[in-house]
Amino acid sequence: MTAIIGLVLLLLILPILFFLVLRLQSGKISAELRPLPGMEELPGSIGRSAETGQPLHVSVGVGGVGGQVTSETWAGLTVLAQLADEAAACNTPLIVTVADPTVLPLAQDIVRRAYARHGNLAEYDLTQVRFIAPEPTAYAAGVMGLLEREALTSNIMVGAFGDEYLLMGEVGARRQVRQVAGIADPRTLPFAEATADETLVGEEMFAGGAYTSRLPVQVASLLAEDWLRWGAVAAIVILAVVKLVL
Amino acid sequence: MAVIKRVLPTALAIAVGAFVLVSIFLPQLNVTGIFFVDTAIIIAAFALFLGLINLLRVHLRNISNRKPGWPYSIVLIISTFVVLVVGLLAGGPAEPAVQWIFDNVQAPIQAAFSALLVFFLVTAGYRLLRVRSLEAAVMLVVVLLVLAGQVSLGLLPILPEVRDWIVRVPAMAGVRGILLGVALGATLTGLRLLLGLERPYSD
Repeated sequence: MTAIIGLVLLLLILPILFFLVLRLQSGKISAELRPLPGMEELPGSIGRSAETGQPLHVSVGVGGVGGQVTSETWAGLTVLAQLADEAAACNTPLIVTVADPTVLPLAQDIVRRAYARHGNLAEYDLTQVRFIAPEPTAYAAGVMGLLEREALTSNIMVGAFGDEYLLMGEVGARRQVRQVAGIADPRTLPFAEATADETLVGEEMFAGGAYTSRLPVQVASLLAEDWLRWGAVAAIVILAVVKLVL
Repeated sequence: MAVIKRVLPTALAIAVGAFVLVSIFLPQLNVTGIFFVDTAIIIAAFALFLGLINLLRVHLRNISNRKPGWPYSIVLIISTFVVLVVGLLAGGPAEPAVQWIFDNVQAPIQAAFSALLVFFLVTAGYRLLRVRSLEAAVMLVVVLLVLAGQVSLGLLPILPEVRDWIVRVPAMAGVRGILLGVALGATLTGLRLLLGLERPYSD
């Protein structure tokens, strides 16, 4: 039954997505996106790093690709792609840490291709992307050491995080490093609110591609998400009223 | 050649992704779908080996450049090889020798580290409440109400009810709203990847 509901939802989303792409391409709807302070902070972090010559740190979370948190890790990798592109263009030092070994080749490839695109491949260093440890607590310990020892300008953490986020976020806050956190887990979000300067709450972390590329398909994906959310809200209200009445 | 380099990974990713998705709905294709998933798991195991090489490379460079904290890099490399050799000689991670290292070294260190969370929570909470904004004020009131409801000692019988209502109604509504958004965002991200509309694996 769950599989059938999933299939129906997928078949419902696809036409909505393509309809919105066509409407955006024909200019019938606006591609204007509401401002997200967390996303707007990202170019600034590259700018600060370029000015000071000090590196910025990017973490894509403790999850990997292939598990339940793949989409959250993917959101982190999308943000990394944007930052790597700008860092390669400005020749800004960038340190990336990963906890899951499946993410390591992906992150390395994203950073390497960014440098290659800007004809700056000689500047790319394999150790810019670092595998710390697969255990979340051990990973947090490694990142805490990095935040303590390196003179970083910004700490961008977008991905799947659990309680261990607080260990890293608190060190960053104490060291007065400018922090952006993107987290989907409601149990971890209060930690991000307490320690990060800007927070991407829940679904906002998936909007990275749309905010950076502004491609119709990316923007259409966000609009489709809005439409479906309103559909879900309407369904909840209608079902609640029906239950009250009957 | 460049076209093949660009198109082939995308076509392969879309084909395999679509097949695994369809196999969830069609039990007849389940065996092949599971084969693809198992293949991914084997590839992921190789990624761990890449991770080990990366770890050694980073820490050997720390030592050779005498970067701050470089003695810890020596400890890390020695520990890595000790556990690796013990594991290989003992016959695998489930053997008593490796389990002994886990139970007596790794587990206590991790437990001690996790215990630090209590202190970090207090400082994080203090920092959050120090921010002079409406949100911080609302949070302070809610925190006080929930805490008072938890330890009212029967002095004010309404407080536990208030706490229950806060947890059950506004807090639960907020959490469900976030989870609904995350589910939609994750679904659409998956669809974009599956349709090849987002291709981080090729230019």
